[in-house]
Amino acid sequence: MSTEPPDAVTPPHPEPADPRPRAYGAGRALVLVYGILALGATARSVYQLLTKPEEAPLAYWLSLVAAVIYVVATIALAHNGVRMRRIAWAAVLVELVGVLTVGLWSFLRPEDFPEATVWSHLGQGYGYVPLVLPFLGIAWLMRSDPARIARQ
Amino acid sequence: MLALLLVVGLLALLLGAWAGLRAVRDQPMVGSQVPAIGVVELALVVQTVVVAVGMSNGATSADPMLLWGYLVTQLVLLPVAFAWAFVERTRWSSVVLAVVCVVVVVLQVRIWQIWLG
Repeated sequence: MSTEPPDAVTPPHPEPADPRPRAYGAGRALVLVYGILALGATARSVYQLLTKPEEAPLAYWLSLVAAVIYVVATIALAHNGVRMRRIAWAAVLVELVGVLTVGLWSFLRPEDFPEATVWSHLGQGYGYVPLVLPFLGIAWLMRSDPARIARQ
Repeated sequence: MLALLLVVGLLALLLGAWAGLRAVRDQPMVGSQVPAIGVVELALVVQTVVVAVGMSNGATSADPMLLWGYLVTQLVLLPVAFAWAFVERTRWSSVVLAVVCVVVVVLQVRIWQIWLG
């Protein structure tokens, strides 16, 4: 039984105490995409709430909620510790439910969304990246699961 | 303004294609890509200066704060990808560079939309 994952690459700073893969390689690239989306969504929603809060409060507050969840997911995926992985699971699952719920809602009742949110129309304004990301996040969390790696 | 956006977009697209090709071949970012990153970053700086000069001469956009948000963000992206390549000596540094280039291209489209209002 090997403790090395099948896709193991040599980490730049070997950590003898814990040979489990941290967020490097594919995981790290995923963290980048999460980070960019977190940055973009946070900046946009804070700016919109500060300058024109009355125009579309529901859309802007939803955007802010989505942004906070992306920030949490980014940090949790990058940290990759035991508890942080649980938080990452929660964050990506909330994202999945969020993008599907708000996506459906915005199709059924477009009058509720005079301004776009990160999640409305299944993340159309962001090239559907918000729809794809939760699936990539779940796939990565399953793939990098320590128990799964230990079994191999 | 449109010409400048097109030039930056094209340069970023070329660099992104190069990085994407290296990622597909399972190769990390290489030193010869650094000057290319520099060229795109320089084009972005020129773009920022042109907007700043244009605005100080009375040019306006529908949403100047949003415009500047995008301009500042795009300046940060390539240095991040560059720093990334130091810690990530795998194909994923190429993926990161390619992703950043795509984001820069998308930002050019968004800047054009904001510029028109």
